[in-house]
Amino acid sequence: MIRRAALLLAALLALGLPTVASSIDVSNLFNSIKQAFTPATLEQEEAIGNAAAATLLGATKPIQDKAVQEYVNKVGLWVALQSDRPDLPWRFAVVDSDDIDAFAAPGGYVFITRGLLQHMHSEAELAGVLGHEITHVVLKHHLNALQRAAKLDLAGQAAQVGLASKGYNSTLDQQAFEKVSNATRNLYSKGLDKDDEFDADRAGVVLAARAGYDPYGLLAVLQTLEGVDPKSGRVQLLLATHPSPEDRIAALSAAMAAGHMDKYGNQVEGVERFEAAIKSLPPMKADVPVTKAAPVAATKP
Amino acid sequence: MRRALVTGVLLLATLGVVQADSGGTAQTVVAGSMNDGPYSDANPIGSVPVNTNVTILTRQGGWYKVRLPTGQTGWLPMTDLRLGNPGSGGSNTPKSSGSHGFFSLFESGRSGASGTTATTGVRGLNTGDIANAKPDPAAVTELDQWMAKPAAATAFAGELKLKAEKLDYLPKVKP
Repeated sequence: MIRRAALLLAALLALGLPTVASSIDVSNLFNSIKQAFTPATLEQEEAIGNAAAATLLGATKPIQDKAVQEYVNKVGLWVALQSDRPDLPWRFAVVDSDDIDAFAAPGGYVFITRGLLQHMHSEAELAGVLGHEITHVVLKHHLNALQRAAKLDLAGQAAQVGLASKGYNSTLDQQAFEKVSNATRNLYSKGLDKDDEFDADRAGVVLAARAGYDPYGLLAVLQTLEGVDPKSGRVQLLLATHPSPEDRIAALSAAMAAGHMDKYGNQVEGVERFEAAIKSLPPMKADVPVTKAAPVAATKP
Repeated sequence: MRRALVTGVLLLATLGVVQADSGGTAQTVVAGSMNDGPYSDANPIGSVPVNTNVTILTRQGGWYKVRLPTGQTGWLPMTDLRLGNPGSGGSNTPKSSGSHGFFSLFESGRSGASGTTATTGVRGLNTGDIANAKPDPAAVTELDQWMAKPAAATAFAGELKLKAEKLDYLPKVKP
């Protein structure tokens, strides 16, 4: 009797258990795939973006300068109107850091640091950077990455995302909020897939050109970034989360040359309006010289 | 008296040059031809060797107007140049000891790779700040007050004579 039981156990160990184990793996994998690929509705995207934005604004606050914020919102929305998702509730904000970076969150949130703004020379440069961030939202780069990482059950009966009744202001339940918040801390300190960044660079210059700006603004900003000493700490987050400026310049300039973007090189720079708009910002701290490396021609030749 | 006046004029002239030069410096990363305008079909007006230090005067589309050490000015393609001074610390830039490049002034504010702020009042934002962020939902609500309406954004674009153009996305190209 004991011997038969032992034989049975041996048989189970040899055949049964591995089968059970692998069926568990398959079912987990299936759930992961289902969670990752259930497309978020617009309301869900907005709720996820709201949680991501809340987390990012926990690290850096919007500057309290109404005129600058409204300026960046008008320029940003004009560029976003040229994108494939013009109807999102686009919200742009300058955040109060001397460091140089910009980031986007699902649903139409775009943040740019005061430090980056103060390293720019024209509205065309601003439009290029905003175009890059707008592209991340349009192509749902962060949404997809956050959805994968947070493993939200968007299709389940007990959806963790509060829906419909509150429209764009819908919120996540607490558990889902924490999942998205954790995923945000991780994603935004490590960065997206490098290809997402290269794609956003190429589409960003196109959005700027569609909006009537000189499309070389983004390339000029990348050259400014390349000239910033990494030891300064000013670009620590940017370099940790993006391909090197050198690689981005090489990839973007090759694509722009092949796409004959020089045709649009005479479009609007907007130097005077840009300088007037950011004049109210406090001067950069002593250790952050204004690297006015490339003032743009005010008049066309 | 006359000498003082001459010195004064010379000083002013020097200051003027410094001001004009504060536009920034760059080095050529390839040998190239300088043009008399910001176009590929403009007239070539001289060749510029690689590693030439130039002063950037302005930018137009994909071109920088530069001044060479000889004083000659002209236009070079953006990507022929790397911005910053030699020794400024960019990964492609050869380090020259004792160089005090324009951008090297950046080095004073932070200590080490941790990005710890050393200078009072400097507001940093590093990977650690993001990794430890405590959510601030009220700050998100605050953003709504600055949102633009499409009509306002379009009118604002019109003030700068920005016109919407139709063009396709750029395909990926191997550099």
